Amino acid sequence: MNVKAEKVQLKYGKDFALKDISFELSGEKIYGLLGRNGAGKTSLLSILASFREPSSGTITINGEIPFENAKVMQQVAFLYNKDYKEESDNVIDMLEDIQRYRPNFDKNYAEYLVDRFKLDRKKPIKKFSKGMQSSLNVIMGLASRAPVTIFDEVYLGMDAPSRDIFYRELLEDQGKHPRIIILSTHLVSEMDYLFDEVMIINQGTILLHEEIDTLLAKGATITGNADLVNDFTSNKKQINMQELGTAKSVTIYGELSDDEREAALESGLDLAPVSLHELFIHLTEEEN
Amino acid sequence: MKQTRIFPKVALDMFVIQLVWTGGFLGIMFLINIVKLIIAGVQGNEVEGYFNTIFITGNIYMLIIGLLSIHFLSHYVGNGVTRKDYFIGSFLASIGIAIILPIFTIIISSLEKFVLNLASISTKVQSINEVDIDDNIIGDIVQSIIISPYVDPQDNWIMAISVLALNLYIYYLIGWLISSSFYRFDVMAGIGFILIALNFKMLKDTLLRISLELPVPGWFSWLDFLPSGMALIGVLLIIVVTVWFIRLLTKRIAIKM
Repeated sequence: MNVKAEKVQLKYGKDFALKDISFELSGEKIYGLLGRNGAGKTSLLSILASFREPSSGTITINGEIPFENAKVMQQVAFLYNKDYKEESDNVIDMLEDIQRYRPNFDKNYAEYLVDRFKLDRKKPIKKFSKGMQSSLNVIMGLASRAPVTIFDEVYLGMDAPSRDIFYRELLEDQGKHPRIIILSTHLVSEMDYLFDEVMIINQGTILLHEEIDTLLAKGATITGNADLVNDFTSNKKQINMQELGTAKSVTIYGELSDDEREAALESGLDLAPVSLHELFIHLTEEEN
Repeated sequence: MKQTRIFPKVALDMFVIQLVWTGGFLGIMFLINIVKLIIAGVQGNEVEGYFNTIFITGNIYMLIIGLLSIHFLSHYVGNGVTRKDYFIGSFLASIGIAIILPIFTIIISSLEKFVLNLASISTKVQSINEVDIDDNIIGDIVQSIIISPYVDPQDNWIMAISVLALNLYIYYLIGWLISSSFYRFDVMAGIGFILIALNFKMLKDTLLRISLELPVPGWFSWLDFLPSGMALIGVLLIIVVTVWFIRLLTKRIAIKM
């Protein structure tokens, strides 16, 4: 599978929701899509799912434009924080309906997940709590086994144990049935271990797209005597800084060579890795 | 891998859902009719037949399920179905409902007639076609909006079913057209489409009246010169144009989330 965006723009009236988005996702991996509120995550994902067309530019899935393409649209599942307040069907009816339209749908797996999330099989979905409705979205997304599966902040309202079940099942099923999974999220620190690659979107543009290990290797926090820290980081991209008396701590973004690391340690500086959560905050903060 | 056609699934699913609703509607109207029969029987009045009751209320029912039709769009696109497959599926299902509803109605109505004849209770003669044509333009317009051409099933039951099906179908289509325009545009444009839809409905009634050789009220009455065959073609054209408008509105529509 391959998903490719080229110079995608989306305008609502005069405002740009997406300014100039280009990226390529190739390979059955889990992609984390991070961005602050209003960054354009849902706009981008809704174009991928053929919910709308871009104002300009193209998105292709396996080389084909998905919009109104029956073959491609069947292979893309988009789960989001949907409003079920008028849904009087129960879980089982709902899943049976979806099964008719999703060629890879696994009914047994869906029923296993219904038990796993302890959802009431007979209760109308509109009477479910927000968290239970989110669990239903997770079940529909996982059991559809669509080659491109998109979860847009699908965990909203789910309690911590339910989210944990989601993450475990996601990893386990991805192991057995690899596909392109895109997880858009705010809960960066909780979900970072799930991602193979990370894309950060900010103000309608792609800020970065890296494999997670490469990305984390680029960040480091250097702590020590303020003068030494200043010397060491003066030619680096600084994304955060804290001072306490004569001590200073600077977070940098950019690769450090082995020689640089050694030199830092020899001069008494402390080098600590940076979490994805911190990188996300500082990189998007700086841009704003 | 061969791609299986999706619109027949949509058509079947939407037909079954709307058939269940229709069953509920016909059932409730049947119960109401029984109560009306009992009251009329006790008071010794003539009773309104089931066919006539559905002739009036069925229009509103079809308008409502037509309005609801657009809500299936988000559901289907959300499950990887194209707008085109949704459109064709909905279109086929709506024809199915417009045909099955009058058939059920005439079956129930015939049974009712049979029972009433056994009990020697007479039914009211429907006078809906005897519209009052005078110089009151407002009155004419109101009449032409609310009253559809009527054929008595006792005169010609095939014609009665066909005319009822046409009346019902236009109501479904204008419901679907109006809700599609509200989904696609803002409220002002939606109101504009309500006016267009009302005109389509009045034009269809006028043409149907001409083809059935009934009195012709309303602001399309100048079309009276048309031969009845042409008028009938005109009715079909209105249906085609309405369906085409709905397709144009929904062809590339953005799905609300």
